[in-house]
Amino acid sequence: MIAATRKRVWWMIVPALVLLVGFLVLPYASIVVMSLRTADTRAVYGEGFTLSHYAQIVTDPFIWGIVGRSLRMGLTVTVVTLLLGYPVAYHLANLRSRWASMLYIFVISPLLVGMVVRTFAWMIILSNNGVINGALKSLGLIERPILLLNTPLGVTIALIHVFLPFVILPLLGNLQAISPDLAAAGRSLGASRLRTFLKVTLPLSLPGIQAGAILVFVLSISAYVTPAMLGGTRGRTMSVLVVQYLVDSFRWPAGAALAIFMSAITLAIIVVYLRLTARAMRRLP
Amino acid sequence: MTTLTLDGIDKFYGDLHILKDINLEVGQGEFISLLGPSGCGKTTTLRCIAGFEPIDRGRLLFGTREMTNVAPEHRDLGMVFQSYALFPHMTVAENLAFGLEVRKVAPAERAARIAKVLEMVRLAGYEGRFPRELSGGQQQRVALARALVIEPAVLLLDEPLANLDAALRDDMRFFIRDLQQRVGITTIYVTHDQSEALVMSDRIVVMEKGVVAQCGTPKEIYERPASRMVAGFIGHSDVIEGTVLGREGAMIVVETAAGRLRAHGPEAVSGPVHLMIRPEKLRPGLAENAMTGRVKKAVYQGSALLVVVELPSGQEISALLDADAAVAVGAELTLGFAARHGWVIAR
Amino acid sequence: MNGRKTVWDHLFTLLVTAIYLFLMSPILLVVILSFNAGEFLSLPIEGMSLRWFVALFHNTRFLDATLHSLLLAAVAAVVNGVIGTLAAIYVVRFAGPRLANPLRLLMSAPLLVPEILTAIALLFYFFELGVGNNYGLAIQVGHIIVTFPYVFLNVSSALFNFDRSQEEAARSLGAGGWMTFRRVTLPAVKPGLITGCLFAFVISFDIFNISLLLKSVGMNTLPLELFDYLRFNFDPTAAAIATVSIGVTFVAVVIVDRTVGLRSLRF
Repeated sequence: MIAATRKRVWWMIVPALVLLVGFLVLPYASIVVMSLRTADTRAVYGEGFTLSHYAQIVTDPFIWGIVGRSLRMGLTVTVVTLLLGYPVAYHLANLRSRWASMLYIFVISPLLVGMVVRTFAWMIILSNNGVINGALKSLGLIERPILLLNTPLGVTIALIHVFLPFVILPLLGNLQAISPDLAAAGRSLGASRLRTFLKVTLPLSLPGIQAGAILVFVLSISAYVTPAMLGGTRGRTMSVLVVQYLVDSFRWPAGAALAIFMSAITLAIIVVYLRLTARAMRRLP
Repeated sequence: MTTLTLDGIDKFYGDLHILKDINLEVGQGEFISLLGPSGCGKTTTLRCIAGFEPIDRGRLLFGTREMTNVAPEHRDLGMVFQSYALFPHMTVAENLAFGLEVRKVAPAERAARIAKVLEMVRLAGYEGRFPRELSGGQQQRVALARALVIEPAVLLLDEPLANLDAALRDDMRFFIRDLQQRVGITTIYVTHDQSEALVMSDRIVVMEKGVVAQCGTPKEIYERPASRMVAGFIGHSDVIEGTVLGREGAMIVVETAAGRLRAHGPEAVSGPVHLMIRPEKLRPGLAENAMTGRVKKAVYQGSALLVVVELPSGQEISALLDADAAVAVGAELTLGFAARHGWVIAR
Repeated sequence: MNGRKTVWDHLFTLLVTAIYLFLMSPILLVVILSFNAGEFLSLPIEGMSLRWFVALFHNTRFLDATLHSLLLAAVAAVVNGVIGTLAAIYVVRFAGPRLANPLRLLMSAPLLVPEILTAIALLFYFFELGVGNNYGLAIQVGHIIVTFPYVFLNVSSALFNFDRSQEEAARSLGAGGWMTFRRVTLPAVKPGLITGCLFAFVISFDIFNISLLLKSVGMNTLPLELFDYLRFNFDPTAAAIATVSIGVTFVAVVIVDRTVGLRSLRF
């Protein structure tokens, strides 16, 4: 019956297909095409095709420096969000009181407040006259403000805050799916709470850790707003550089090549990461 | 010798009084069932014994050791969960080894004990399987093996058969009971299934609304229920209201709408009472305690004939008769029962 | 379920409380500072005042940006509400096992690829189509694309949890296909649809990268306006703009929580 109905209702999927193929798949192909075009001084791109943009990127130490910084930041943000997010997810998953839904709002609302607003909050906190420096000064701990704005450190702190919910939510879903009976069984067999956690709960939450880690890594590598607002030139990341190519200097082919280069590196790291974690997750259902 | 003592245990969830003054003494090797409808507090009682729920008042003793505030992992218990709670990322052998590793049992002895227990639950050769590769009944036996392999002082079972299909459930009843008797382990078994409790237990604790309604052997519970609720929860029963007139030796004479009936009952009972008779104890044509009414329904059940008789008072009583008894719907039928089969319960 | 509380429980609670505070406090800070009577974005505030909000309402650039953002978000929510629901019903109900998974992946793709890349892709694409950033078309399509998965995923999960036999019961009672859909299926997916549309709205209201690269000349969205303002100014006006944006989000979240419950949300 379904097969017969399928023939009559095929139109239901058409608008979505037009949208996603026509305005997502094809545009992504156009990045590849653009990256192969020649540069031109009078238009955004020239007539011929070339691989020279890739050659320039790969041989440019300045770009490799920014790549290195972006990756370092991405890894730091990923690790720290996992360390901070796990306890929260664990706490929320085991909470049965009426507080639960309020705390859940605490977790997701930063996610729903725009990136610009959240980053702006961190400008206020990190600036020379900001909350942190103000507090340290009034406590008499420092005389001159510590420079936090326009540094990689400031960007990293803000990114941790901005992406923390993205690691909590997959972990929460994962932890909630683990029956509380399993931990109880561990305890009844004589294992302490810590041992039960390490041997039972933690291994079973590896899929959540993996999903959260990939999500946050991709998001922080590709983040534009936060590094653009907080990073200055010293905290500039790959995304910021790409947008500069496109918007400020109208070097579209070179910008396209840079975007693809950045995606390729991100993808390569994810593949390596999946290989490494596959062994640990082999036993999971 | 007493292995487990619950001494006046109370438990609250906020304002809700979940357990009220639970007292129980369990002897070495005894099989005790906690029986009752859902929400009666039987699982909470088990979780209090296991240490997963703190006790608000009262004491818990294992032998003479006070256990009230001891963490679950230090109670030396084996527990089987309704969901089995097998660790999905571990093989059968690893599941069984978990408790032994915690106890620092040497690898050689560990392997020997695992092999022995798997043999006992008829799962030898399944060591390398993951729980998801086993059937429900097999998973159930692994859960049992995992709890037994640590040789705990007490085995706790929380409705372990609830997720199995009917035929398997019947097999597992005898399997568990048999295993428990061979090992000789003290066992607390939570169930809402009265027939399970009847066939498996040494004693049954019937619970209702957080209190112990009755505690006794299956025979006591079935034949001499302490309250109307217990009578209704265990098996089918006909209940006739009446008033105690007096005693004739060991028998109690009760005046009812169906006439003057004789039954036995507790010593002190008097005044308004329920008279309880099990349907299979009613016999047609029996002169003792005879009640005559009109047959309303006769349903063939294979092993027996279920007859519903309407008495002149309007009350209906059911009787289980011989399957080939000649009974016609609409005809008059006289049913009687031996006085020793009737049981009087205070109202 | 772990019996009595230990010192470790309290330490853990303390740690978790600190992280919750870390999550919430920057946003609270912005809201508090927007009511600052003083001139600076720093604590402690110098008394309460609405002066910065009053200033906003006299700022036409800001009002235009807000209207533009609301319009983009409303169109994105409505368009996705229709095509996302249709797609979800097709994929969950009719696509069959072999097609369903690739389709589901395609439908979630905008969420799986970085927004900045999508923005770049659409920039090139619309330029090559010859449309460029004219007529506000590119930016609207961008907003629809990026928020599409929120509707699709939420409606899909509502459909997954929906017991098909209800539809069969309706059919057996004599209801036709359309009647069954309208009276049985649609009410069942309504929570997912509401959640999905409101989140599409909120996300569209907040997205930045798409708007930055695809906006028409002189047409700023609210986040862009705030971004631009902060390049040259750093005063409580910015906090007031941010607070308005937070307010819009907050209203949407409360609506979702009251109507269908936040926990039904799918990302």
